[in-house]
Amino acid sequence: MRKLELDPRTKLFMIFAISLIVMVNAYTPLQMVIRIIVTAIPILLMTLEGKYAAAIRFAVLYAAAFILQNYYLSAGSSGLLSALITGYCGIVAQFMPAMITAWYAIRTTKINDFMSAMQKMHVPDGVSISLAVVMRFFPTIKEEYESINDAMRMRGISMGGGKVTKMIEYRLIPVMFSCVNIGDELSAAAVTRGLGAPIKRTSANEIKLRAIDYTTMVVFAVSTVLFMAAKNIG
Amino acid sequence: MKENKLKAKDFITIGIFTALVFVVEFAYMMLGFIHPYVILSYAAAIPVLCAIPMMLFYTKIEKFGMLTIMSVLIAIIMFVTGMGWIGAPLIIAVGVIADLIAKKGGYKSFKSTVISHGVFSIWVGANYIPLVVTADDYRKDMVDAGFSDDYCNILFKAVNGKTIALILLCCFIFGVIGAFVGKAVVRKHFEKAGIA
Repeated sequence: MRKLELDPRTKLFMIFAISLIVMVNAYTPLQMVIRIIVTAIPILLMTLEGKYAAAIRFAVLYAAAFILQNYYLSAGSSGLLSALITGYCGIVAQFMPAMITAWYAIRTTKINDFMSAMQKMHVPDGVSISLAVVMRFFPTIKEEYESINDAMRMRGISMGGGKVTKMIEYRLIPVMFSCVNIGDELSAAAVTRGLGAPIKRTSANEIKLRAIDYTTMVVFAVSTVLFMAAKNIG
Repeated sequence: MKENKLKAKDFITIGIFTALVFVVEFAYMMLGFIHPYVILSYAAAIPVLCAIPMMLFYTKIEKFGMLTIMSVLIAIIMFVTGMGWIGAPLIIAVGVIADLIAKKGGYKSFKSTVISHGVFSIWVGANYIPLVVTADDYRKDMVDAGFSDDYCNILFKAVNGKTIALILLCCFIFGVIGAFVGKAVVRKHFEKAGIA
């Protein structure tokens, strides 16, 4: 069976819709339900793509934060510990849906498909190339940071020791060094493969919107409209 | 003919530095949930911290448009991470202005780079704008999200219609200070290595 693959444009639309939804807080039960549904869809899509571990991790994390936030915390809470818990539950419950969707979109979109989708939407090359690099670069930064951290630890420079400025200097500067070098290699590789050539770009894997894409978009559009309307109705 | 068009290499540079700036900014933002004063300190600390990658970025700028594209990307990322669309026009506007200022100095003059970075840093302040424009809603949202009353009181005493101009100015000043700090770091580490 062919794996379910959504068009990159559908994924972008999902991110857009979810960003709108997470920005406004949920007051009514209907809004809560919508929020849970739009969070569940990307998790479901992840399982369909075979990313079981990530799907379970996100589901558990979100559920825990959601329950904590709604049943154990109120406006009366104070103190450092509860402030910390509040903070993290706040982040998780508020931004998790957007993060999950973004993670899903980034991990399941080939850069090729992303570029042809951007081209079909007539986004200028500059924005789409840069955005593609940003998307691909977060995992790289994380990897580089971890290796640098290991290297520092091996030399006995740990996180806690020393001044704050040194801490920043010892971490940020090496990361920047490796990122600049990776960037040079990346552009050399991309240019040899014809990135930025003054002709229209073609793609071996033709993307198009299928029925499933339209269905997903309609579901998300309706959810967003309902969510916004529910707030105004009260 | 003078090469004025941006090439693929420039776009990749923009992407890398946008990612770096965002990572630095995001790491600092995570601290904001401890105390509201930390949220206020964004206006001072983020321009200075981000100046380090930014000043390295400035050494690589040679053409018009790189700062503008970066500001568009930041606006998009801010929107996706839930900062709202209200600040987006301001972010892009300061990006264009910063680009014009840097262009005036030919992207080489240190003086215009410093001012340009100060202007560019105002994007940090743009993230406060939703707090001011929709103060009541935002407060209610935060209480609902589980933030304590104390937290909100302090936050909204500090961030409101009267102080927003001050916050933006603060971003500018610390952007300028950051430019000097960043330049010193770049000189210390990168020029020696021959990267900048």
